[in-house]
Amino acid sequence: MTSIPRRASRPVLAAAVIGTFALALGACGGGGGSGDSGGDESVVIGYTGPLSGGGAAYGENVQTGLQMAVDDLNKDGLEVDGKKVTIELKSLDDKYAPSTAASNAQRLADQDKAPVVVSPNAGAIKAIQQINDGRSKFMISAYTSDPAIVQSDNPLTMMIPPNFESYAKPFTEQGMKHGGKKLAFLGTQSEYGQQWTKAITDEWKKANGKIGADNSIDYATVSDFAGPVSKALSEKPDSIFVGGPSQPTALIMEEAKKQGFKGSFLVMDQAKLDEMATVTKLKNLTNSVGVLPVKEYKDPGTKDFLKHFAEVAGDKKVATSETALNYQSIAIIAKAMEVAGTTSDPEKIRAAVPDALSKVDDKYKVNGFPTEISDQGHLVNPDLDITYLNKDEKYMKVPVDQVSDTK
Amino acid sequence: MTLFIQQLFNGVALGGVYCLAAIGLTLVFGVLRIPNLAHGSLYMLGAYVTYFFLTTVGVPYVAAIGIAALVLFVLGVLLERLVFHPLRNSPHTHHMIAAIGAMFFFQAVAQAIWGADFRRMETPLSGSLHILGAEISAQRIVIIVTAIVVLSLLTWFIKRSIHGQTIEAIEQDRTGAALVGINPAMVSMLTLGLSALLVTIAAGLVSPINLLSPTMGDSLNLKVFAIIILGGLGSLPGAIVGSFALAIAETMTSTYISSAVGEAVAFVVLVGVLAIKPTGLFAKAVQR
Repeated sequence: MTSIPRRASRPVLAAAVIGTFALALGACGGGGGSGDSGGDESVVIGYTGPLSGGGAAYGENVQTGLQMAVDDLNKDGLEVDGKKVTIELKSLDDKYAPSTAASNAQRLADQDKAPVVVSPNAGAIKAIQQINDGRSKFMISAYTSDPAIVQSDNPLTMMIPPNFESYAKPFTEQGMKHGGKKLAFLGTQSEYGQQWTKAITDEWKKANGKIGADNSIDYATVSDFAGPVSKALSEKPDSIFVGGPSQPTALIMEEAKKQGFKGSFLVMDQAKLDEMATVTKLKNLTNSVGVLPVKEYKDPGTKDFLKHFAEVAGDKKVATSETALNYQSIAIIAKAMEVAGTTSDPEKIRAAVPDALSKVDDKYKVNGFPTEISDQGHLVNPDLDITYLNKDEKYMKVPVDQVSDTK
Repeated sequence: MTLFIQQLFNGVALGGVYCLAAIGLTLVFGVLRIPNLAHGSLYMLGAYVTYFFLTTVGVPYVAAIGIAALVLFVLGVLLERLVFHPLRNSPHTHHMIAAIGAMFFFQAVAQAIWGADFRRMETPLSGSLHILGAEISAQRIVIIVTAIVVLSLLTWFIKRSIHGQTIEAIEQDRTGAALVGINPAMVSMLTLGLSALLVTIAAGLVSPINLLSPTMGDSLNLKVFAIIILGGLGSLPGAIVGSFALAIAETMTSTYISSAVGEAVAFVVLVGVLAIKPTGLFAKAVQR
């Protein structure tokens, strides 16, 4: 053993450990809403999402939208059943783990009496659906495009974004039109990425296209995209399916163009073309089909929302549908509380959503505002568009025929 | 054939990055006898500090990597002094717990300072070279060249300089080295500092072809552990051979079998080595 005398400086160690914890706690506790209540009554809207770890950027985008809506609604003043109500957003970190999300949701409903809990991930929502209609009742404001969450017939679920299956057909048509019949897959290996891969494969085959090998990669662990891109291009595809988080997707498309790819890209809805343009030049992203950027929407509140977003998040960040759609949905929920005349009964609030939709103030309509809610609880905007980013770097709108949520 | 050459170059460039990261880890294991699980987060911090000097302060690319490497050297020294040194007489599990704590701490700090968003580091090096029909970008050539230069310098440092020789002496026999007047505490600090410096160079080189995020070190962490176990814990030649072998195996299986298999190769190798030859390819005399 070593000759060093054994007088390990325990106080120093203890101080270091305590200091570390204190700093770590300080660093983690940045999120969450403030707890001051100015009105007669206050209501908590709960949020459980990934606020640390790999999904943190996504979780924060959602949180920004929620917080912006809460701030705006409080400024306008919300009145429920004759009383002034202040909304408070309470956020908890679930690190993308469904089990943590479920216990967070339970905590928000029990301790904070939240009538509504927001969750931005299909797995977590499925877990929360096990507990929101039993002993404790609360509504789930569900931000996922996976239709499985409305197929489960949970009476207190409100699904916010469009069903991703609606995109498969127009993506296939546009992809073939601007590329060709042969498709290569370079999507992400996440569960959602695989669902997309399957949906596109089915549509592409239906349109008599040819499918190459599945080169899906894990966008989070691959350190150099050049290899997978070279491999996908070696099959000489006319179109490539890509998509995961925006920024790595942008790098893959840039690399493909650098290696001489001239065909079209099908960009999964998780990646947003305008957000991708923050890490590469827009010309590296052209000839691609994707979801329409928020700034291309012509809703009455879009312009002011973008201005407000730039003040909150800085002008380097791009407002995506994660932020915008959650902003809208909180306004819908607040209006539903007003219509239902209660902040505590989730069943009445959910039942008031159809009436509330037409009463929401124009300023909260920012990203294809829904005009109806399906019986299963899916908010629907009948005029859904996707976009084709052409070679002149212009976003062209392409209308979408939405598919049914039922299996 | 072109695809093969293209992927070979991609594999060698990736190997250079793995190598710079793995060498430091194996040195730390040799001297401190601890698996530094915070190594990947030092890599992540190295990338962010380089990004800070390059983008926010505005110094040139190479200087940014240099300054960041020095900053991380100091951080490595502090990590040894404040976290591992006080635990030197505790059971080994304490080191691992402390290292994991440091890892989460560094990630939380990075997220607090730079946010959870992906960031892109622009490099002044653009353009590419055509070799035998394959297209190799300038950045990848720089990675390969830098890896070779840094490894040569490191070998010279360890074999020829007094401070470097003390590292090797401690690796070989801690008590004996202490008896002839080498201060193990100093050498431990120097080694962790050096490992942080090397991993920062790796991070600075790879960042322009990838993205920065607070969790970018996680996947690298697992791979470099597989590498040093493959090469033999504490062995420098083992880490070098292991890095290039694993990187090339990874790119080639991704190319000719599938990407999913390519990502799994590191762990198949890891399990294989542990089952068949647990001491690794270049086993050092097992001490104590």
